Amino acid sequence: MVLSTWKNKIKKSDFADKISLIIALIVLVAFFSFFNKNYFSSRNFINILVACSLMGFVAIGETKLIIANLIDLSAGSVAAFATVFSAILVRAGVNPYLSLLLAIGSGCFVGLLNAMLINYLKLQPFIATLAMMSIARGAAYIICGGRAVPIANATFISFGTYRLFRVLPLPVILLILTFLVGGYILKNTFFGRSVYALGGNSYAARLSGLNPEMITLKLYLLSGGLAGFAGALLAARMNSGQPTAAVGLEFDAITAAVLGGAAFTGGVGTILGTFIGMLILQGFNTGLIMLNVQIFWQNVAQGSLLIVALAFDYLRKKERNKKLLTDSMKSING
Amino acid sequence: MGSYLEFKQINKYFPGVHALSDFSLKADSGIVYAIVGENGAGKSTLLKILNGDYLPDSGEFFIDGVQQKFTKPSEAISAGVSVIYQERQIILEMTVAENVFLGDWPCNKAGKVDYERMNKETEEIAKSFGLDIAPDVKVKSLSIALQQMVEVMKAVNRNSKIIAFDEPTASLSGKEIEILFKIIRKLQAEQKVIFYVSHRMDEISQIAQKVVVLKDGKFVAMRDQENVTDDELIRLMVGRPLGSVFQEIQSEREIGEVVLEVKNLTTHSVKDISFSLRRGEILGFAGLVGSGRTEIMQALFGLDHILSGEIIYDGQRYIPSTPTHAIEVGIAMVPEDRKTQGIMPNISVRGNITISILRKLLNKFKSIDVQREEIIAQENIQKLSIKTPDSDKLIAQLSGGNQQKVILARWLVTHPKVLILDEPTKGIDVGAKAEFYRIISECAKNNIAVIVISSELPEVIGLCDRIIVIRNGSISGEVNQTSATEENILKYAMIDLQETK
Repeated sequence: MVLSTWKNKIKKSDFADKISLIIALIVLVAFFSFFNKNYFSSRNFINILVACSLMGFVAIGETKLIIANLIDLSAGSVAAFATVFSAILVRAGVNPYLSLLLAIGSGCFVGLLNAMLINYLKLQPFIATLAMMSIARGAAYIICGGRAVPIANATFISFGTYRLFRVLPLPVILLILTFLVGGYILKNTFFGRSVYALGGNSYAARLSGLNPEMITLKLYLLSGGLAGFAGALLAARMNSGQPTAAVGLEFDAITAAVLGGAAFTGGVGTILGTFIGMLILQGFNTGLIMLNVQIFWQNVAQGSLLIVALAFDYLRKKERNKKLLTDSMKSING
Repeated sequence: MGSYLEFKQINKYFPGVHALSDFSLKADSGIVYAIVGENGAGKSTLLKILNGDYLPDSGEFFIDGVQQKFTKPSEAISAGVSVIYQERQIILEMTVAENVFLGDWPCNKAGKVDYERMNKETEEIAKSFGLDIAPDVKVKSLSIALQQMVEVMKAVNRNSKIIAFDEPTASLSGKEIEILFKIIRKLQAEQKVIFYVSHRMDEISQIAQKVVVLKDGKFVAMRDQENVTDDELIRLMVGRPLGSVFQEIQSEREIGEVVLEVKNLTTHSVKDISFSLRRGEILGFAGLVGSGRTEIMQALFGLDHILSGEIIYDGQRYIPSTPTHAIEVGIAMVPEDRKTQGIMPNISVRGNITISILRKLLNKFKSIDVQREEIIAQENIQKLSIKTPDSDKLIAQLSGGNQQKVILARWLVTHPKVLILDEPTKGIDVGAKAEFYRIISECAKNNIAVIVISSELPEVIGLCDRIIVIRNGSISGEVNQTSATEENILKYAMIDLQETK
C-alpha cells in the first residue's frame, strides 16, 4: 500500500513527466564524455552553466509567455540595450547596484510597451514584440553611438565574475535561484495558474474571473525585466556594454522552452522542462566545440535537435492517443 | 444508369465513444435520403467518413460496387463525393469562380490560371441554378445563403455523384430554402445520390423520399417519407421519452424570495428587458439564435456594457463591471459554446474545475493548496458522476457530456446564488441530457436561482417554471410551464405580434 502510493507519487512527479528529456541529457553527456574526457568534469559543467546563464534568464520569461500563448521577440534586443545602458550608467559614476536595477527597469519598460501594444492596440504578440525588437536594438546603438562602452567599476564587474567558494560563479547561482523561484511561481501560485488558464483558453479564463490583460502585462514585465537582468550580468562578464550583443538570444531561449515541452498551442510547458531543454541545448553546443566541430555546424545542429525532439514528441503523442482509443474500444465492447 | 453507395458494417471509435456501430446502408441514385437523429447519434461521423476526413476503424463501403478507402478528402472528391457543411468550406477572400474551382483551377500550358474559362463555366452553373451571381465578385460580398449556393455549385462543378448536405438550411430564410430545394430536386433528376442531414421535420417531408434514423451510432430504421409520422420519427430517434424525467424533477420544489430583479435593461443588443427571478426557480429564456438571449446574460455577467436600466440583486443595486465582480457577488455563467468559451483543452479536469476559485485555494504562503484542490475536484467528479479515470486527465480526452459537467462543476464550486446556463445540453447525447436535467433541478432544490437559455423547446418546457421569449432583442412574451406549448413559444419567438394587431 505504502509502496504503491510512493510509486504513484513518483509517477505523477514532474521528473517522471520529463523522463525522456532526462534520458536524452544523460545520453548526450555520455556521448561527449566518451569522445573527450575533459567533458565530464565539474569545471566543464560549470562552464556550460555559465554559457547558459544569458539564455536561461530569458528562457524563463519565454516559457511563461509561450504557456500563455504569447511570445517575446524583443528579449535579445532588450538584453543588448541593458548591457549598453548599465555600462553607461556605471561609467557616469552611478552606484553599480542602482545601475543593475535601472537596467532591469529598462527591460520592464520595454515589457510595459509590449503589453500595451497587445492589450490596447490589439496587436498580435508576434508583431508587437517584433517591432519592439527593432526599436530596442536601435536604441542600444543610439545611446552609445554604435561603439562598445567599457566598464571599469570592480563591483559591477564582480556581478559577472564573483565565484562563491572560488568555484561557483554568481550568474550561475542567480540563474538557478531564478529557475527555482520561477518554477515555484508557475506551479504553485495563483499567478502561475492564471498563466496556464490564459494559454488554455483565454475566453474561459476571463469568464472565470481572471483578468487576461493584467496577466499579459505581468508576463511582459517579467520577461523584459529578466532580459534586462541577463543583459546587465552579461555586461559585467564582458567588462563592457555592446549594442551587438545577444542577437537571436530570444530564439535560443524559445528553442530551449520548446525542447523542454512548451507547446505553441498554449497551456502546456514547465520551467523544469525548459531547464533541461536549456542544458541539452548548451551541452550539445559546448560538446561540439570541444570536439572541434566547425562553429557553423552548431546552428545546423541546434535546428536539427529541435526537429528530432519534436518528431519524437509527435510520435509519442500519437502512440498515446492510439492506446487511449484501443482502451476505450475495449471498455465499450468488453 | 444510376450509381449507388453502400456502407457495410462501419465502425468508428473515439475516446470514450462508439460513434458509429455496425452501420450498414445501401443508397440509390435519384433519391433524397434524409438522415435524422439526436446530437451525437453519429450523423456527422458518417459524413466525415464519406468525405475522407475519418477512416473507419472497421467495415467497408462501396461506390458503384467498388470498394473505397479514403485516407483524405481529396480522394473522396476524385471518387465523386461532395459534402456540403453547415460551416461553409469556402475562402471568403476569393472570387465565386475561384471557389467553385477550388483546388482544381484550370490552367493554360504555361501554368497561368485560365480565368476566362473559369468565369464562363461558373456563370453557366449559376444560370442552370437560376441564380444571379457574378463569377468574379469576392465571396465575402455575398449573403450567407448565396455563399451556401457557391458550395453547391462547387459540388456540381466537380461532377459529384454523391452529394451530402449537413444542416444546409440552418442559416437560410424561407425563400432561400426554396431556391436550395429547387437545386436539390434538379440534382435528384440528374440521378445523384443525395443525403440530407437535418433536424427540421417540415423540410424533410418536403424534400426527402426516404428517412434514415440513427441513434447512438446505430442504424435504427429506414422509412418511406410518405408513410411515416413526425411522432414516430421522434420516438425512433429518442428511443425513450424524456417526459418521465421532466415529471420526476418537477415534483416538490419550493420557490423562495426574489433574488434578482432586472428593470428596463438596455444594451447595444437588447432593449427594455425586465424580469425577476426567485430562489429555487428555473427560469427559461427561449427565442431564436441571435435574438439577444445570450446578450442579456452577458450584460448581467459584466461582459456587455449597460446603457440604461437597473438591476437589483439580493436587495441591492447591482452594476456588473467584470466577470470577476459577477462571480464575487454570486452569479455564475456556463457559456454557450463549450469548445471555444468553456474548456481549457490542454489542462486537467481538476484544473478546469478549480480555475474559478483559485484565489480561495491559496494557503498562508500564497500558493495553491494542492490537497484541498484535489479534494474539491474529487467531490465534484463524484457528485456530478463525471466519467474520468482520475482528476489528472486532460479535459479534451473526455466526451462532450462529461466536459460539460466539468464546466458546470467549475461554476458550482463558486456556490452561486444565480446560475446561468446557456444551451447547457447542446451537442450532448440523450442519456447525458437526462442527467443534466436532474442536476439542474437539484441546484434549484438547493435554493439556487437558475436561468436556462435553450433552443430546444421540449427542454425549456419540461424543465422551466416560467419561460421568457426573446425576439429581436426584446421580450416578446412570457408563458408558464402549465400553459407552455412549442406552438405558443414559437409564435412569440418568430412573429411580430405588434404588427399583426
